[in-house]
Amino acid sequence: MSDQLRITKYRPDNSIRQSYVATFSEIFREISENRWLIFQLFKRDFTAAYKQSIMGLVWAFVIPLVSIGTFIVLNRSGVFVIGDIKVPYPIYAVLGMAFWQLFSTGLLASSQALVLAGPMITKINFSKKSLVFASIGQGLVSFCVQLVLLIALFLFFRIMPSHGVFLLPVVILAIIFLTLGMGFFLSLLNGVIRDVANILPMFLTFFMFLTPVLYERRSYGLLNTINHFNPMNYFILAARDLVLNGQIKEWHGFLYSAIAAIVIFILSLYVFHLTETRITERV
Amino acid sequence: MNEDVLLKVDRVSKKYCKSLKQSMLYGMTDIGRNMFRLSSNPGELRKNEFWAVNDVSFELKRGETLGLIGSNGSGKTSLLKMLNGIFWPDKGEITIKGRVGALIAVGAGFHPVLTGRENIYVNGAILGMNKRELDKKFDAIVDFADIGDFLDTPVKYYSSGMFVRLGFAVAVHCNPDILLVDEVLAVGDMAFQAKCLDRMMQYIEEGGSVIFVSHQLHQVDKLCRRSLLMYHGDSLFDGETEKAVDYYRKSLYSKEVGPKGRVGSGEIIVKDVQILNSSGKVSDGCCVGDDLTIRVHYETRGLTDEVVLDVALYSIDGGIVCSMRTDADKFSLNKLNSKGFIDLRIKSLNLLPNIYVYSVNFLKKNGYAIFDSHSKEYKLVVYGGEKVKGVCSLMHEWVVN
Repeated sequence: MSDQLRITKYRPDNSIRQSYVATFSEIFREISENRWLIFQLFKRDFTAAYKQSIMGLVWAFVIPLVSIGTFIVLNRSGVFVIGDIKVPYPIYAVLGMAFWQLFSTGLLASSQALVLAGPMITKINFSKKSLVFASIGQGLVSFCVQLVLLIALFLFFRIMPSHGVFLLPVVILAIIFLTLGMGFFLSLLNGVIRDVANILPMFLTFFMFLTPVLYERRSYGLLNTINHFNPMNYFILAARDLVLNGQIKEWHGFLYSAIAAIVIFILSLYVFHLTETRITERV
Repeated sequence: MNEDVLLKVDRVSKKYCKSLKQSMLYGMTDIGRNMFRLSSNPGELRKNEFWAVNDVSFELKRGETLGLIGSNGSGKTSLLKMLNGIFWPDKGEITIKGRVGALIAVGAGFHPVLTGRENIYVNGAILGMNKRELDKKFDAIVDFADIGDFLDTPVKYYSSGMFVRLGFAVAVHCNPDILLVDEVLAVGDMAFQAKCLDRMMQYIEEGGSVIFVSHQLHQVDKLCRRSLLMYHGDSLFDGETEKAVDYYRKSLYSKEVGPKGRVGSGEIIVKDVQILNSSGKVSDGCCVGDDLTIRVHYETRGLTDEVVLDVALYSIDGGIVCSMRTDADKFSLNKLNSKGFIDLRIKSLNLLPNIYVYSVNFLKKNGYAIFDSHSKEYKLVVYGGEKVKGVCSLMHEWVVN
């Protein structure tokens, strides 16, 4: 028995004493060993969120419907110019919102993952990366719910989506990488400076209006320049293009954004690994 | 590392910061430096930092149990958290062989709206068990927790005892090589405490190693042959539990006794307190079985309400031994001069040799108003006799038939 025991060493600045290769293999091992934990944590958050509510999962439909409803009203009354779109606006809006919310819900949840588990992580030593991974599960569930809504809309308007939908998982994956990448970093930052939790919702609302989620992208002006460097812009455009036209118009923009998302993900996972124990002290 | 040594703590220190804003700043600096693979110079103290654990070393072998004792804030929990890997040390090195299970706060991972059944799985996963292990041990956990019909009730409706029982049950079924236990049994009722102690004994007999933190010195004494006494982050003593406890009592004593600011309205005050031995001489105590007088000198100005004198005797680790009150003894104190003394005569004091502390309080009769209270300010030493455990000495004899 004593031969197979794993030897652990804790030293000052423990995480920076290894080579890069050892660090990454440790990160990888931790994630693969904790798959079941991630699932359990996700299940816990999910059950807990809907247990003490009468409407339960219905809320996942209601919230996007209300916000899209607002835009439909604004659109009809001419307050808000959407641009030249070829499909009924509800389909257009639900499609944009579903992908946007996959990002925004996930980011909000993951930025809070460490702080909400504060009392627990200072008492039990377990994989804190699992908390962040599990936290985006909620976003995934409501995304799936919205996809159901989208299918219903397609049936209602008797429109056939393009065959490009089969490539959607690539876009979803890219958004998840971006969400997790930013989420890992923000959860660390929020652990030390709580202002993050206050700023982020405001910032996300602002960011949503910058990004062409509910309207067509303009080809001129400041907004256009900003969106030129906005990965979410390319992800949402790609998702919409795939469903409605079957191909991604700005594919190089999408490709660069996807690569950027993966790089952000790897970097912040790495930073998280180096500093997670330090954060625990300050949470 | 030696074959049998499961845990080696080598000159370990940990620093904390007293100020929150500074802690945020230091945190950012440390994290920033770690991010770029730079050392955060953990070995040096910055402004407002102090060593919460200071240069502690020890080893733990397989099957050994170590008690960790010391007053609040002596660094016990910080040390446990480092052993568990929740924090890293700022100096020194900890080497661990095998799986560490920690009972630092049971039920810490419980979600209030989830049922007991759901929480067993989530908590088990957090504590490092996999599905197969949990499925296998589920019945044993439920059986041990003894929560009956409440298995499918949200844990927020549990009594605190049930909550702790379930938490303990999950944690104890992880089968770690080293189990860290931090003052968790205090919440459960007596029966459950006994059950937990039994389970830990069984675990030790099976070859597990335990580090046990508790203020219940008798529990430490029961479980651990060896103890480490901590005081303000330093390890003061490492050795036989009995000696460590003795040492601890003495250090408690030097902290417990002494003026700590008196409370009360002051219509009557305690001027001085003396102990007189059986021959009437002022002393600091007496031998087992001697007569003893506690003389309370008082001074009063314009006393209107009737007064009660209360003398309460405590053992050095805080438990009350006996409280003596004039009103309980139907002894009236209504004709007091403006100055004088009251004697409390104790016949054949049957306390075991040790150091005790006592409080002297003047209270208002039929009420809780305090005239003057000197809480645990005085000490009483009982000398002589053989060293036996306990508080009181019963008159007894042995007969062989």
